[in-house]
Amino acid sequence: MGASPGASEEGRRASAWLFGPALLWASCSAVGVLTTILDDAAWSAVDRTRSTAVGSARCATCHPDEHESWRRSYHRTMTQRAEGAAVLAPFAGEHLDALGFRATMTRGAHDQPHVRIERIEGPAAVVLDVDVELTVGSHRYQQYVARIDRGGGPNELWRLPVAWHVELERWIHINGAFLTPEGEWGEEADYLRHLARWNDNCIFCHNTEPVPGLELASGRFDTRVAELGIGCEACHGPASAHLERHAWPLRRLLAGLGTAGDQSVAHPGRLSAGLHADVCGRCHGNRIAADLGAVLEHGDGFLPGQPLSEVSRPILREATLAGQPGRPFEARFWPDGTPRLSAYEYQALLLSPCHEDGEGLDCGDCHTMHGPEPVMQLRPNYTAARACGRCHGPASLSDADAPGGHGRHGEAVGCEGCHLPRTTYGLLEGMASHRPTRPRPQDLRARDDQPDACTQCHVDRSRDWAAAALAAWAVGGAPLEPGEDHGPAGSRVVLDLHGGDPIQRALAAHALAQPEAPVAAEERMAWLVDALDDDYPAVRWFAFRGLRRLAAERAEPDVMQALEVSGAMEDPGLRALMIDRLREILGPGPLAQRPEQRRALHERRDDQAIWIGE
Amino acid sequence: MTADRHLRLALATTLLFLAMGLGLEAMLGLRAQGAVDDGVRRELWRLGHAHGALGGLLNVALAYAMERLRTPAAWARRIRLAALLGALAVGLGFVGGGLWHGPTDPGPLVLAVPAGALMLLSSLGAIVLLRAGDGPAAS
Repeated sequence: MGASPGASEEGRRASAWLFGPALLWASCSAVGVLTTILDDAAWSAVDRTRSTAVGSARCATCHPDEHESWRRSYHRTMTQRAEGAAVLAPFAGEHLDALGFRATMTRGAHDQPHVRIERIEGPAAVVLDVDVELTVGSHRYQQYVARIDRGGGPNELWRLPVAWHVELERWIHINGAFLTPEGEWGEEADYLRHLARWNDNCIFCHNTEPVPGLELASGRFDTRVAELGIGCEACHGPASAHLERHAWPLRRLLAGLGTAGDQSVAHPGRLSAGLHADVCGRCHGNRIAADLGAVLEHGDGFLPGQPLSEVSRPILREATLAGQPGRPFEARFWPDGTPRLSAYEYQALLLSPCHEDGEGLDCGDCHTMHGPEPVMQLRPNYTAARACGRCHGPASLSDADAPGGHGRHGEAVGCEGCHLPRTTYGLLEGMASHRPTRPRPQDLRARDDQPDACTQCHVDRSRDWAAAALAAWAVGGAPLEPGEDHGPAGSRVVLDLHGGDPIQRALAAHALAQPEAPVAAEERMAWLVDALDDDYPAVRWFAFRGLRRLAAERAEPDVMQALEVSGAMEDPGLRALMIDRLREILGPGPLAQRPEQRRALHERRDDQAIWIGE
Repeated sequence: MTADRHLRLALATTLLFLAMGLGLEAMLGLRAQGAVDDGVRRELWRLGHAHGALGGLLNVALAYAMERLRTPAAWARRIRLAALLGALAVGLGFVGGGLWHGPTDPGPLVLAVPAGALMLLSSLGAIVLLRAGDGPAAS
């Protein structure tokens, strides 16, 4: 029995009312989905060279977690306007006297940080009197940048000669962060030696999409950056094409369909090891531009995801420069080619067999830019053993079955302790080498030009001891007892502290201050005092901070008090008093009984200035 | 669909999506990878759980309302189907959109959510507007 015509009509009306809108939506969606899937422009590679930067704030809309992890990072605060919480120093009238000049840090109109530098002696002469516009850095020390026209026009910005050390909570003269002698008292040129122009120096690795804008004819600058600090687009590339593509919601809903990933921005984690390293190497690997003029005019031209070699070549030990004799960068590397300065991590990785010519280890194996921890930005739950263990299984490691396992240090020393030793100087720190190597002290016997992993930790041992200990291990022997050369007179670190070049001396001081060094802290503190008298302020700062750390760990109030003499790090007279007081507390230095050896080491010192090459 | 079956299925839908909440809590408690560490999935499954359960309860309410308001039979049968399909489409659309999704947005199955919502709204609107004597059943 069929329904009446009226009931049928009513049924159709009901169906249309109840299901019509949903069917209409479903039809439109289906058409939209099909159209989007078939739209070649939505999926094909885009010409990223035409993409422009949009700023990290735009990324937060779709990538809130990534944006938040970036916001916590020191990359974001690499360069900031000198406003509010961005300024870490007090600027409350502090003074820093150094080299015969006084820097006074105050606040000007609208709370703007202000620096005034004058000669201390003689007729008052103002060297600089400027408002701070930008801050550079926020982790280890913060540098300050002011607008000073020194011939490059009103847009010239210069890094000032004083910086705020975050850990020490005090001002330091910027010469102290460089590996050059302190300079002559009262010499303005020495005081301002590291007054670096921001527009064509700091700008590159501390900002996103920097364009120095140098007019080659006039020497004036029209500098601009897409974003102060290292923003999202420094690693992912300019994102305007990405935004344009994903403005269409259906493209976003279907994003999981693409097998090749989105090609409108670079995703370093999905690049080959080589291209991934290139993204980081843009800043963490000093380079020589293919066309320096073009770089100073328009920027470096690098697009993340493309080979860095298209726009530059990395500075290696053997690198040469047209018009310059010899190998001008040699001093930045150890004799085996391993970089000994930070910002050369890229080169270190390239030199590593683990990198396998761009197919193996890359930066992302240990680091992540979107993890929870801003310091070092290591992967969550990272251990070197986990990273190394992906290729180096226990079965492939010699001695793995011996007590304590491979290396026999048990859990006290990880892979990095021996294979990535702290033989790199940067930012007043001793840093881990980024070139995984095998410790071979036997190859460095009778050589003074390169540290080894063993004696950088066993700070009271000689290199001969290290070589013999390794040889004994190789045949399953017991750990060697120290020989006659045990103690400060034969210690590799002490020899470096007194007879090395500035980097060796700084790294020796750093090694003596490490908590894991298996030598009594009191003894190490006594050895460190010698470095407080070094000609190089950077070495002195290593000694000072090392003493502070050890004294704090050992709760030594007398040492802490002796170190707090105001101005002692800048004034040689006050420093001598500080050293005398420390000697009273800590006893004689390591070579006090061997003045001839000490003299010979000091004569052997290589006091060359090592240009870091910002 | 009969009124009894609708009521039974409405309660079953509520049961299904409420039970899903237990599963979500268990996954959070056990820190299940793929659920806890995936923000888009976590949010969409939470939305699916909440909307699905609410859709089921709404169907229970609609079943009682249609009986109380004596909604015309020709409409009532279709309203029951539309409302139940709507609740399922909303709940499962969120779940499916979270199960398979792109880097930042839900997957295309989430397009079922607006369709389901439209069916629920149409059903609710019909019950509000229809009177007991409307339609051919009264003629």
